Amino acid sequence: MTELCPHGGKGKRHRKEQAWKTMEDRKQKLLDIEHLSIIYKTDLETVYAVNDISLSLEKGQTLGLVGETGAGKTTTALAVMGLLPERTARVTRGKILLDGEDVCGMTEKELLRLRGEKASMIFQDPMTALNPVLTVGSQIGEALYLHNAQELSREQIEKKVEETLEMVGIPKERKNEYPYQFSGGMRQRVVIAIALVCNPGLLIADEPTTALDVTIQAQILSMICDLQRKYGTSVIMITHDLGVVAETCDMVGIMYAGEIVEYGTLEDIFTGKEHHPYTKGLFGSIPNLWEESDRLHPIEGLMPDPTLQPEGCRFAPRCTECGEICRSKKPPLREKDGHQIRCHFHGGGDSLSAEDRKEESHE
Amino acid sequence: MNEPILEVQRLKKYFRTAAGFLHAVDDVSFSIGRGQTMGVVGESGCGKSTLGRTILQLHEPSAGKIFFSGREVTGLSKRAFKDVRPKMQMIFQDPYSSLNGRMTVSQLIAEPLIVNKFCRSSSEIDERVEEMMDTVGLAKRLALSYPHELDGGRRQRIGIARALILRPEFVVCDEPVSALDVSIQAQILNLLMDLQDRMGLTYLFITHDLSVVKHISDEIMVMYLGRCVEKAPAREIFLHPVHPYTKALLAAIPIPDISSKHKHRELLQGEVTSPVNPKPGCRFAARCPMADDRCRSGEIPLMELRPGHFAACLKAESDQLNDPVFRLREESV
Amino acid sequence: MNKRKLRRMVQVKEFWRRFTKNKTAVLGLSIMIFILLIVIFADVIVPYSKCIEQAGAERLQGPGPKHFFGTDEYGRDLFARVIHGSRFSLFIGVATSLMALVFGSLIGASAGYFGGMIDNAIMRVVDVFMCVPPILLSLAVVAALGTNLRNLIIAMTISCIPGNVRLIRSVVLTVAEQDYVEAARSYGTGNGRIILRYVLPNAMGPIIVNTTMMISDMILSAAGLSFIGMGIQPPAPEWGALLSNAQTYLFSAPYMLLFPGLFIIITSLAFNLVGDGLTDALDPKLKD
Repeated sequence: MTELCPHGGKGKRHRKEQAWKTMEDRKQKLLDIEHLSIIYKTDLETVYAVNDISLSLEKGQTLGLVGETGAGKTTTALAVMGLLPERTARVTRGKILLDGEDVCGMTEKELLRLRGEKASMIFQDPMTALNPVLTVGSQIGEALYLHNAQELSREQIEKKVEETLEMVGIPKERKNEYPYQFSGGMRQRVVIAIALVCNPGLLIADEPTTALDVTIQAQILSMICDLQRKYGTSVIMITHDLGVVAETCDMVGIMYAGEIVEYGTLEDIFTGKEHHPYTKGLFGSIPNLWEESDRLHPIEGLMPDPTLQPEGCRFAPRCTECGEICRSKKPPLREKDGHQIRCHFHGGGDSLSAEDRKEESHE
Repeated sequence: MNEPILEVQRLKKYFRTAAGFLHAVDDVSFSIGRGQTMGVVGESGCGKSTLGRTILQLHEPSAGKIFFSGREVTGLSKRAFKDVRPKMQMIFQDPYSSLNGRMTVSQLIAEPLIVNKFCRSSSEIDERVEEMMDTVGLAKRLALSYPHELDGGRRQRIGIARALILRPEFVVCDEPVSALDVSIQAQILNLLMDLQDRMGLTYLFITHDLSVVKHISDEIMVMYLGRCVEKAPAREIFLHPVHPYTKALLAAIPIPDISSKHKHRELLQGEVTSPVNPKPGCRFAARCPMADDRCRSGEIPLMELRPGHFAACLKAESDQLNDPVFRLREESV
Repeated sequence: MNKRKLRRMVQVKEFWRRFTKNKTAVLGLSIMIFILLIVIFADVIVPYSKCIEQAGAERLQGPGPKHFFGTDEYGRDLFARVIHGSRFSLFIGVATSLMALVFGSLIGASAGYFGGMIDNAIMRVVDVFMCVPPILLSLAVVAALGTNLRNLIIAMTISCIPGNVRLIRSVVLTVAEQDYVEAARSYGTGNGRIILRYVLPNAMGPIIVNTTMMISDMILSAAGLSFIGMGIQPPAPEWGALLSNAQTYLFSAPYMLLFPGLFIIITSLAFNLVGDGLTDALDPKLKD
């Protein structure tokens, strides 16, 4: 029996301090995304997938990116990995600094080195993420062969594969089995083993448990948390499930239509006083297990058309608190104690966003 | 409970596979009162979808009886079942694959009317389709759209309209919201509840999501590997879960709440075992932390532990006394 | 009622708009119309008598102002023979393909949709037929029934049904797994309607492409049969027959090969292009 999540006991104060530290000391950061905008351009239309997002991640931290389909979560993740589809995707603005290097400017060769060694990614569906004709052992070993920086011998690599399998809770005797011999939860463990075998500094988990059953989900989440604590890996947890966020994350970014509408520590998002109306809507939409309620409070309306760039706030058509200004003027990113909200009416006294402030200090 | 609209008695559905018989639904009995919602919860492969499909006669049951409005529908000829069919409908999980992409929205919704020859003229069909679109909140201008042009929420509304246009009394909802985004999920759940009130529907609500099922159900049945392991009124099952599997399910749900209440908890180890030729005894024994030899031999019956609360666990009686919540309740009584 | 008509009209218009967006498909369609016009107005362009009229003095003459495509070994005008040959070739190609499509669809769809015993029985029969080379099969049928146009078409249809059944069964197998088929069953749709309204329309893409390609195949295979004397009986002109006839004079009179060959290629190409265009235009999912 294992217990879920090591971060439960951390004090609120401790996390606030951490948040401040991220604000001040930018060199400590593993990942720093600044004003990133990404479009998908085809002959017929331009999709504005990511619009001017900025976020950063410290070593050993977990950042949750929450949002619905089309919010731009996965596009952001792919951009960090340098995996955007070349034919259609363009980074129109901003940079992604991973360990101080800009991912956007890298050549394919540099990117190959980056993937697996510095950052790796877990995908949603473990059923299709593995090659069915190779044994799981050789698939895990593959990453090691490719990034053989320490010039490991064959035997050493085999040994490392076995260690990694045990680490994700699979007996090492199973390394010569094929993916079809594993169940869904076990396959996701193999996928995680492949991602972690080179000890990357950053692990991006794109809905790692959405395709799994709830009891298996709990096992996988607790395992990711354990491994993270053990190896000090930074994790970006992409999910639509606020429950998963509550159990695994330190920092949370709520995304809507390609923007981060709210960003802060776990406490800011879950217990803070000020919220973006979309965040409130998301919480209202979840049926609560432990409270009685007759009706849910969904966010009415639909996701906006990603091919349009509205004048005002992207959430305005669905917002219950929408005013005149929301339709005409893009809301600023307001910040208070590291808790950022992109709204005209919420987000405390500082109407100056973190980025603006930073830009000023540069001048 | 008022008079049952659906009664299922010892229903079994086995599938023949190369390795042996797959016990998808194994000896499940329950009844649903008119206007009530029965939630069926379980993990993938527990037979919850097969249960719904067998009740609607999309699969032939291997054994057992199903009564609808007091009339036995198992063993009815195809012709005789034609009268019952419109009264029992289904809403499917995947709003993408459950709609024929070659048909427009209005064609899709009209199809059950045409197939069952419910309307005499095409203008009557149009009228009813329009009315139905309005009921489920689909704008009229979408009538000529194709489903792939619409988002998941709207597509699921089409699926609901299609199921309800025959004015059924009983609807099997097979994971109707699990393919949808959170904010859309809530819209659809509210819609389903409104429609139930308005049309007096009875639901069999199949899902893997406990929070959804709790929200919508009057009674909940938990299934594990084809068996019903626990059945109780919705509130009861959340306040006093008895079966270890139900407890594990409840414990495994990530709660969107960071107060430490649910942080430290016991996790279920292992994965669901194969439903092909299951061993005798409790199906959950392989993963159960409390299982002993008694659990691995012989049939475990569904026992009524308190009025309306059934569980199939030998440890249930002794265990419930140790349950702090339970004890608290006993004391307060 | 009116509304229904309007809806139909909107659909047709939409289909046309999407078809015409594909430039190569439009090109294919234009060629097809051009060839169809030749077929219809063959008698107006050049009388049938011209193509069976033998003129010993004008044997094996190259293309010129008198005989646009030259003449054959009996001095018959090749232009007239190609023009009138289009009637036979196209008729054989289209008729056999369509018949094979109809029978193949029904048999293949039943096999794929019902599965089990029915599937087994149908597929074993198909296997037996697949073991026999198609040309041999047609030959046997023609030999048994006697050589005329009708029997030729029957023979060729039988020979290409098995392949069609296989293709359609495999497509239907995947389509029949879809949730919407089960949904249709849940509101009481009969098997016939499911096959015709749900399964076949969604399996249409590969089937249409296959049919258009089959038309060109059939034109060629009719040529083969004509060559061994089991197809169109001389002196009636047919493209394939012209082509096989030309083989003897490959080096002395290559033009004899050139013109019928060109027409066969262009016609097959046109059908293939239109087939591709149809697949895209008929699939609402590929819209824009």
